[in-house]
Amino acid sequence: MKKNRWQILAVVLAVTLVGLLAGGCGGSGSGGGGEDVVKVGVILPLTGSEAMFGEMEKNSFEMAYEELKAAGKTTVGGKEIKLLYEDDQGKQDVAKSATEKLVNQDKVHMLSGGYSSACTNVIAGSAQSMNTPFLIVTGSSDTITQQGWSYVFRGAAAPASKYTIAFWEMMEKVIKPQKVAIIFENTDFGTSSAKGFRDECQKRGINVVFDQPYEHGAIDFKPMLANMRSSNPDMIFATSYVMDASMIVKQMKELNFNTKLFVGNGAGYTMPEFYENAGAASDYVASTTLWVPSVTWPGAGDYFKNYKEKYDKEPDYHGAQAYATMYVIADALGRAAEMNAEGIRQALKETDIDTIMGPIKFEDWAGYTNQNKPNTYVVQWQKGELEVIWPEEVKSADYVYPVPQWTER
Amino acid sequence: MLLGQTIICGILLGGMYALIAIGMTLIMGVMKIINLAHGALVMVGMYVTYICSKNFGIDPYVGMFIAMPALFFLGCLIQKYMINRLVEVDSILPENQVLLTVGIMLVLTETARLLFKSDYRSVTTSYSSDTVFWGGMSISVPLLIGFFIAMLFTFLLHLFLTKTDLGKSIRATAQDRDAAVYMGVNASKITMITFGIGSALAAVGGSLLLPLFYLFPDVGHLFTAKSFIITILGGMGSTMGAAVGGLILGLSESLGATYISMGYKDVVGLVIFILVLLFMPGGFRSLVKR
Repeated sequence: MKKNRWQILAVVLAVTLVGLLAGGCGGSGSGGGGEDVVKVGVILPLTGSEAMFGEMEKNSFEMAYEELKAAGKTTVGGKEIKLLYEDDQGKQDVAKSATEKLVNQDKVHMLSGGYSSACTNVIAGSAQSMNTPFLIVTGSSDTITQQGWSYVFRGAAAPASKYTIAFWEMMEKVIKPQKVAIIFENTDFGTSSAKGFRDECQKRGINVVFDQPYEHGAIDFKPMLANMRSSNPDMIFATSYVMDASMIVKQMKELNFNTKLFVGNGAGYTMPEFYENAGAASDYVASTTLWVPSVTWPGAGDYFKNYKEKYDKEPDYHGAQAYATMYVIADALGRAAEMNAEGIRQALKETDIDTIMGPIKFEDWAGYTNQNKPNTYVVQWQKGELEVIWPEEVKSADYVYPVPQWTER
Repeated sequence: MLLGQTIICGILLGGMYALIAIGMTLIMGVMKIINLAHGALVMVGMYVTYICSKNFGIDPYVGMFIAMPALFFLGCLIQKYMINRLVEVDSILPENQVLLTVGIMLVLTETARLLFKSDYRSVTTSYSSDTVFWGGMSISVPLLIGFFIAMLFTFLLHLFLTKTDLGKSIRATAQDRDAAVYMGVNASKITMITFGIGSALAAVGGSLLLPLFYLFPDVGHLFTAKSFIITILGGMGSTMGAAVGGLILGLSESLGATYISMGYKDVVGLVIFILVLLFMPGGFRSLVKR
C-alpha cells in the first residue's frame, strides 16, 4: 500500500515536471522559432473514412511545396514557410481541438485545409474567433462563407450550390427536363448542394418528383431506387462520395432503372475509383466538377502527369484544390507586409493569382465573403474516359443525351 | 411490387448482418465482454479475401476458406495473449475489457492503413452485378448466394453448439464459467476457441460482402455498430436470437428506407433497438424461452 502511494506520487511528480518542461519549451520555442519560420497549419482527414481524400490533398500540398521550394518561393523575408499537418479524422470535435492546438500551442501564422464541410465549418468558426486567417481547400457548404467571417477565405472551392453553374446552362440549352429526382447524402455538403439545386428548380418551374437524403456508407440502395423509379424522373441529380456513387449506379443497373440522364454533383462521380468500382455501370454518367486534367489553365496537365508519376495514382479535383491552395498561400505570405494575422489577412484579400484551378481572387458577392468566383464544368464518363462535355468551348467530346437504355448498351 | 422488392432486399441483407453479428454474440455469451474489435476483424477478413482475389485470382467465395482459418488463428492469438490476461484477473474492471477491444480495433485499423493506405478497394467478379428478375423484382445474385451461405453457416454453428462435445463445452462455459471449470472443462482453451470461431465467422461475413461492397481500413465501424445492435436485439449470447435480430434489422432498415426516407434508415433500426430494450430487455431470446 505504502509502495503504491510512492509510485503514484512519483508519477504525479513526473507528469508535472514533463508538463512544465513542455510548457516552457512551447513558450521559448514559439518565441525563438517564430523568428525563422512561418508556420502554416494544415488540417486534413488523414485517418478515418475520408482519409483517402486527405492523403491526396496532403500529397498535393507536398508536391506544390517542393516545386515552390525549387523556385525559391518558400522563404519569405528570410523565413522558411513550414507546413504543420494535423489530422481531423473527419470528426468535428477533433477538427476543433486540432485548430486550437495549432493556433494556441504551435502558434501558426495561418491555417489551411478543411476537407468535409462539417469539419471546415468548425475550423472556420474557431479560426475567426481566434483571429487567425484560414484558407479553405475543399469544404464547400454554402454557409461557411456566408457568415461574414473576415478571416475565412475560400479560393479553390466553390460554394456547393454553385458547382452547377455550367450544368444549368446545359440544362437550359440541351436537357430541358420536366421531372427531376434529387438524392443526396445527409452531410453538410450533400444538403447544401441539394438545397441549391432544389431552389433553382423551383425558380425555373421544374417539377421535383423525388427528393430524399440517404445515410453515407449504406450497402443496399435498392429500396430507395425502386421507390424513385416509380416516380419516373427524366433526370437524376445525385450528391454522393465515391463508393456510394458507384453503389448507386451499379444498383440502378441491377434494377434496370432507366432515365435520360444521371448527373452527379462533383465529389464521388469524377474519381478514378468510381469507374474502377462501378465498371460498365459508370458509362454515360455525367457530373459537375470544378477541375479536369485537360482544362486549359497553365500547369493543370503537368500537375496531373507529375502526380501520377510520383504517387502512381490519378488525382482528381480535390488534389488540384490543395495544389492550387499551396500556391495561393506562398503568394500571399510572400506579399504580406507584416507577418501577423492582420498582415496575412490583408495579403490574402489582395490575392490575384493564376492557378491550375483558374484565376483566384477573394471577393464579396451574392452574400458570400472572401469567396472566389468558381469555374465549373460538366463531364461525362464515356467508355471509361472522363470527357468534358460543357461548356462547349472547352469540350473534349460531344455529350450523349438522352443516354441509351441499360439493355441497349 | 415495391413492397416485395423492399422485403426481399431487407431479408437478404439481414441474413448477412446476422452472420456477422453471430460471431460477436458468441463471444459476448461465453466471455461476457463486448468485443468492439469485431468489425475490425470483419475488415481483416475482407482484406485477406481481397488479397487472394487480386494477387492470386482466387474467387471471393473460395478465398473465404482461406480467410476463415487465418482469422480463426488471429482470433485465438488475440484471445490468448491479450484478452485472457484481463479476463483472468478479477480485480480488473470489465470496462477495461471494452477499452482493450477498442485498442485492438485501432491497432488492426491502422495496421491495415499502413499496409494498404486509405484507398477504397473492391473486387469485381463476373457475377458482381448479376441480377435475376422475379415478378418484376430484381434480386442481386451475389446477395442471394451470400444469404444462403450465411444461413448455412448459422445452421452449422447451431449444430456444432448443440451436438458436439466442444460445442457443449462452449455452452457450458457460457452458462456458468466456474461450474464448467469444476466439471473439468478447460475454460481458457474454450474461450480461445470461441474467440477464434467468432473471428472466423466475421471473416465469412466479410468475404460474402466483398463482391457487393467495398473495402477501406475504417469499414469495420459499420459492422461493429450493426453487430452490437443485433446482439442486443437477439438477447446477449443467443445465436438463434442473433439470426432473428439480423433479419429484423435488415428488414426494418429496408422498410424504413422505402416508406420513410433513406436518410432515416439507421434511425428506424435504432428505434426498434430502444423499443426492444424498453419492453423486452432480454431480447428476442426471451420470446423463445417463454
